[in-house]
Amino acid sequence: MIFFAGEMLAWMVRPPFRPELVIVQMAAIGVGSTFIISTTGFFTGVVLALQTNYAMHQLGAEGYVGGTVAVGLSRELGPVLTALFLVGRSGSAISTELGTMRVTEQIDAMETMAVSPIQYLVVPRLLAALAMFPLLTMLFNFVGYLGAYLIGILVAEIPAGPFIEHTRTLIDTKDILHGLFKAVIFGGVVALVTCWRGFAATGGATGVGEGTTRAVVTSSIAILVVDTAFVLITVGSGK
Amino acid sequence: MIRVVDLWKSFGAREVLKGISLDVPTGTTYVILGGSGSGKTVLMKHVIGLLKPDRGTVLVGDVDIPKLEGKELTEARRMFGMVFQQSALFDSMTVFENVAFPLKERKRGIPAAELKERVIQKLSVVDLAESVLPLYPSELSGGMKKRVALARALIHDPQVVLYDEPTTGLDPITTEYVDDMIVQAKQKLGVTSMVISHDIASSFKVADRLGVLYDGQLAAQGTPEEVRRSDHPHVKKFLSLWFEKQ
Repeated sequence: MIFFAGEMLAWMVRPPFRPELVIVQMAAIGVGSTFIISTTGFFTGVVLALQTNYAMHQLGAEGYVGGTVAVGLSRELGPVLTALFLVGRSGSAISTELGTMRVTEQIDAMETMAVSPIQYLVVPRLLAALAMFPLLTMLFNFVGYLGAYLIGILVAEIPAGPFIEHTRTLIDTKDILHGLFKAVIFGGVVALVTCWRGFAATGGATGVGEGTTRAVVTSSIAILVVDTAFVLITVGSGK
Repeated sequence: MIRVVDLWKSFGAREVLKGISLDVPTGTTYVILGGSGSGKTVLMKHVIGLLKPDRGTVLVGDVDIPKLEGKELTEARRMFGMVFQQSALFDSMTVFENVAFPLKERKRGIPAAELKERVIQKLSVVDLAESVLPLYPSELSGGMKKRVALARALIHDPQVVLYDEPTTGLDPITTEYVDDMIVQAKQKLGVTSMVISHDIASSFKVADRLGVLYDGQLAAQGTPEEVRRSDHPHVKKFLSLWFEKQ
């Protein structure tokens, strides 16, 4: 996989560049995932607000629910859950598509035509993932906070003033950037793992299926491991 | 034109090619005939540089293929067109996009009108009409896929065309059509062709020279008539199964 990653990075900076393929992949990863990210973001925000309110209520600090949810979403749940949902939706599709191309010799055919399959197939997916993971994380965060606000105001009966005021107090630009930076890294990890698994597929339909399963499992674990390492380094050092 | 010199290749402990040597003169068709697992595809992948030999070499013209890496190998591959066993058409692209792909990638910025003209011209070489241009591979029959695959292999006017089991899985009529297509590509375009096959009838029809691969070695090679008269026990047995049926 390290060799594959090296090739991927090398081909990324070599011409010819194919922006049209990047746009197609951005649409596949981004536009196609808008519904699932919005839906899951909304429900995550709702549940997080209710659970936070349960704890805060015991301290008489219900007004801090909005801020706590915003920080939790921006720094942690937004990037991690978005990445995990995108692994299921887009990562599996990438692995299956490339795996099918591998076992039906389409990748070999491309190579014999003097076109690098890494440059033509992998680089656009990598660039699209690097761009779309943070964008979709922002969508997840926004819809999640909206869900938290609605449930907090309408159901938990938290006054709107303190809800928003404490959000402003608690959240900082660096919290949002922290989450978005992680989202970029997750995008790179998911693109690398799913493309690599797709390229390594062997046999027929069974091989493609096994490759996709491995891609999803490996990507999901990698996201959590990278996230833990990132939090240990940044939060552990107080940043 | 193509010269394979003492080619050896192993995968783990399994020796697949054991000292293969053959010559394919320019403008002729050489068929590698052999059973399943005899190493035919491995041999072809060495010719186009998809595999590196343990020993020996492949010369295409003056180019020593195994010595090439990266950009040089990519450049060298422009000499080739290849027709894959399952056609290997890009299933997300139409017939036009498939056939145009190699040319579009090589001559970026080629005018759309010229590209379309070239695609239509190559499709006519394989007897396909303009009406197939918007179709996807899933909408084509097996024979049509092979023809589109050949048009794609010929679009950039390669010096060498490689065919990997071109008639496998086809009905007798389509098989005959594909055989004619290979012969016509050689006659009309003067390309040097290398075919790997286990189809004895097709092989004898399209070959100028023929080699029978057995246990990693060429058990016999020469003109179809010379191979037919071979005394090698495996070659006799392999060919007799078919000739006795005729």
